[in-house]
Amino acid sequence: MSPVLKLNHSTDEGVRELLKSLLVSGRVKGVLCLSKMGRENAVIYSLITQPDVMDKTVPLFPVMPQNAGGILSHLTMCSPSPSPIAVVVKPCELRAFIELLKLKQGSEENFLLISSTCGGVYPLKMDASEVEEKLPQYWEAVKQGKIPPGVRSACMACENFIPYTSDMTISLVGNSAIAEQSHIWLNTSRGEQFASDMGEVSSQEQFAGDMEAFRHHRQEQKDKLVTELGQIDLEKVWGRCIGCHLCSKVCPVCYCHLCYFDSPVSEHEISDYETEVDRKKRVRVPLDIIFYHLVRLFHVATSCVGCGMCGEVCPVNIPLAVISLKVGGAVQEVCDYLPGRDVGEELPLTSFKVEEFAAVGE
Amino acid sequence: MIADQQGVVDLVKQMLLKGRVDAVLMPAKVPAGDSFAYHLIADASLLGDALPLPPIMPVQGARALSNVTRRGRGSKRIAAVMRPCEVRATVELYKIGQVDLDNVLLIGVDCPGALPLSDWFGDQRRAEDTFQQLLRDGDSEGVRPVCRICDHFSITGGEDWHVGMLGRKDILVIPQSPKGKNLFLEWGISSEDISSWKQKVDELTEERKQRRSQYLEDLRSQVTGQDGLMDTFSKCINCHNCMRVCPICYCRQCFFDSDNSRFEFEDYLGRAQGQGMLRLPPDTMLFHLGRMLHMSLSCVSCGACEDACPMTIPVAQVFSLVGEQNQRKFNYLPGENREESPPLRVYQEDELHEVERP
Repeated sequence: MSPVLKLNHSTDEGVRELLKSLLVSGRVKGVLCLSKMGRENAVIYSLITQPDVMDKTVPLFPVMPQNAGGILSHLTMCSPSPSPIAVVVKPCELRAFIELLKLKQGSEENFLLISSTCGGVYPLKMDASEVEEKLPQYWEAVKQGKIPPGVRSACMACENFIPYTSDMTISLVGNSAIAEQSHIWLNTSRGEQFASDMGEVSSQEQFAGDMEAFRHHRQEQKDKLVTELGQIDLEKVWGRCIGCHLCSKVCPVCYCHLCYFDSPVSEHEISDYETEVDRKKRVRVPLDIIFYHLVRLFHVATSCVGCGMCGEVCPVNIPLAVISLKVGGAVQEVCDYLPGRDVGEELPLTSFKVEEFAAVGE
Repeated sequence: MIADQQGVVDLVKQMLLKGRVDAVLMPAKVPAGDSFAYHLIADASLLGDALPLPPIMPVQGARALSNVTRRGRGSKRIAAVMRPCEVRATVELYKIGQVDLDNVLLIGVDCPGALPLSDWFGDQRRAEDTFQQLLRDGDSEGVRPVCRICDHFSITGGEDWHVGMLGRKDILVIPQSPKGKNLFLEWGISSEDISSWKQKVDELTEERKQRRSQYLEDLRSQVTGQDGLMDTFSKCINCHNCMRVCPICYCRQCFFDSDNSRFEFEDYLGRAQGQGMLRLPPDTMLFHLGRMLHMSLSCVSCGACEDACPMTIPVAQVFSLVGEQNQRKFNYLPGENREESPPLRVYQEDELHEVERP
């Protein structure tokens, strides 16, 4: 049995009210969540410190302008937050943050981590106004435990829609009451402490709705996408890459401050080109396009949380998210590792034992 | 109408066959056939799918040439074939020591514009139709916005040779630099009369200038002022991809990606408290303004930034507007003359009093 905070507002409003109360009461000094900005109401992450600005927030808006795991890491790289901050992120963003914590890329100190069961988010390029129009059908599908049409392919295929390490979990998927009530699960003592006096807390056995059925829908989609991708032909898949490396910049777990492929080490002397052109008579410029992608996959496969940001930003539409899903999924299965599940769980490469994977070395 | 691109391929093919150059740097199809990339090609028989004017500009040519020659000249003589904006960016990079042109014959070609990457990778068949129509008519609404208003689509001044194609059946090779002219003499190529081609180029330039000023005037009203600028960039996710694909933004590590752009959590909190909220990640606007300050004098309006922006922000158009304005202040046209120094390098204390404030 878990304690659940129930508020008599729609979940959207309830969550905003809760955050506002936390801010007004001074229990938190700031709220980090999605909010609307500018003439076009672009939805992006913000750190909010004044309660009257909370009206602009849309904590549950189904978009992910960036993986917030990376933002949390950026903000806490030099020092942890000195005072409590409420953070509302999607499950894959939370998982990315946990991976970054394992990699010593930030601190969760003083964060009240709030997440939700997640129905997925819409493509990055979709205008906020278009997302706004789709909201009724989105929430209807989420309520019924169905995959909302038009969400990102990475989301359609995501089986980890229940957050693992949140202090509070907002129940959305399969919860028929979301339009009238807010059900916020208090998973930790920190969660309970912050929620005290905020409303009625009761005990509940499990989430409303059939989580297994939803997971099954997602699994089907994942299998479909991976099958459609088929065998990865390096030239076919990555041949059109323009070498901008944006996939690595938006990837929350690609954390290196200076990527090898952006460093002087991978700048070529003209003699490298000349040797290649003498040998092959025709050389692509710049070199190392496919090499970059292979190394990137090698580096991030164990920690890839399947957020799909890489695929969303690619200027030449390489299906990077599905590739990551396929390769990351396979590697994680072999390592029996689920990134972001538990901050105490060691990264496969740091806990590697000599006698492991003997078959690979044969 | 635009001359058959094969003419340009034949030109460089002959140069390879006659041993006048050792390799050609120009766009050619990638193995899967769904895109184009710069290739260094040393064998005339491997030029089959090369073309000087692919429908898209996946990598800016100046970046490609800089990749090859940034660390110094090689032993091979290279003919590099590019669009005019790529030639201009190359010349700007030359001025700041980021390309070596000693062994390079820089060849520009008349350009009808390029299609947005998103259109090409969205529906390739339709994009191919649009491009064919563009080659036929010389103008199309399907080209990228900065290409539609480009008034430097032909000879720019910085190239060794220029290939005239607009309004012609066959190509017209025009020697431009002293080196280009010497090679004409050395290889016994005779110059042709360019007057009728030149007249067409001038006419079209005039048309484009008008279209450009009209377009930029409209744009200016939307993007100027603090609110206009903030609104324009409100969707920005601070990924810095505009900088990464920009041929002019050459820094190995951008200030905004460096440790100088990371602060204590308390600083972020303090900044948020100032206005009640802080947009994350912070410093998005500062990044764009910093980039503008650094590269706008050399901006050639190639549009690579806009093509690579995942949020479809009209970043190339804004930079084109600002670039033109700043360049005019310094009476400077980037890429026009290799021997001309960038304005900031020759800045005199006794200049620009009009921007000073008491």
